[in-house]
Amino acid sequence: MSYAVASYALVVGGLVAYGAWLARSRRRLERELGGPRERNHG
Amino acid sequence: MTATTPLRTWQHASAVALAVSAALWAFFVWRAPIDAMQGPIQKILYVHVPVVLGAYLGFFLTALGGGLYLWRREERWDRLAAAAAEVGVLFCTLVLVTGPIWAKGTWGRWWTWDLRLTLTLLLYLVYVSYLLLRSFTEGSERAARFAAVYAIAGLAVIPLNYFAIDLAGGRTVHPENLGRGSLGAGMRAPFALGMLTAVAAFAHLLVRRLEVGALRSERDRREAEAFREEA
Repeated sequence: MSYAVASYALVVGGLVAYGAWLARSRRRLERELGGPRERNHG
Repeated sequence: MTATTPLRTWQHASAVALAVSAALWAFFVWRAPIDAMQGPIQKILYVHVPVVLGAYLGFFLTALGGGLYLWRREERWDRLAAAAAEVGVLFCTLVLVTGPIWAKGTWGRWWTWDLRLTLTLLLYLVYVSYLLLRSFTEGSERAARFAAVYAIAGLAVIPLNYFAIDLAGGRTVHPENLGRGSLGAGMRAPFALGMLTAVAAFAHLLVRRLEVGALRSERDRREAEAFREEA
C-alpha cells in the first residue's frame, strides 16, 4: 500500500510543483513587463 | 485585452474540468476492488497509464507545433512546440517514476531492460535533448527550424513505444496495453477517469506554460526594440 501512496503523492506533488513554478514565472514576467509599460506612458 | 487573455479563459475552463475529473477519479480509485493477484500495488496503474497519455500528447503536440512552424513560419507554433515538449517531459518523468515503483512491488526490482521500458527511456531522452537543444540556442529562427525537424523525427519513437509489447513477440515482462488485457469489474471507471484527469491536467498546464511563453516572447521583443532604439 505504501508504494501506491508514494506513487500518487509523487504524481500530484510533481504536477503541483510545476504549476507553482509556472505561476512564479508568470508573476515575475508580468512585473518585468509592467515596468517598461509604465515608463513608456510616462 | 492582452495577448494572454484568451489563454486565461482556457486556463479557468481547464482548471474546472481538472478539479471535477480529479475528484471523481480519486473517488473511483478509492472504491476500486483490490486486485486478487497483485494486491493494492495494482492501483498504481490507475495513475501510471494515464500519465503515459499525457507524455504522448505532449510529444505529439511538439511535433505538430514544429510542423506548423515549418509550414507557416509563425512564432506561436514554435511556442506551442516548446510548451508541449516541457509538459510532455514532465508527464514522461512521472511515467518513469511510477513505473519502477510498481515494478519494485510486483517484479521485486526497480528496472529491467525490457523493450517497453527501454523505449520509454529513449522517448524521454529524445525530448529532454530537444529541451536542452532549445535552451542552448534560444531565440534563433534557424534553431527553431532544426528543433521542429528534430521533434517530428522524434515522434517515430511513440508508435515503437506503444507497440513494443507486440514487437517483443512475447519476450517482455511489461503488462499488455489497455483494451487487450483483462480489466476486472470496477476497474474501467478509475482507468477512464484517470485518462480524463490526465488530459485535463495536461491541458491546464499547457495553457499556463503557453501564457509564460507569450510573456517571455513579449519581454524579448521589448528588449530587442529598446536595444535598437539605443543603437
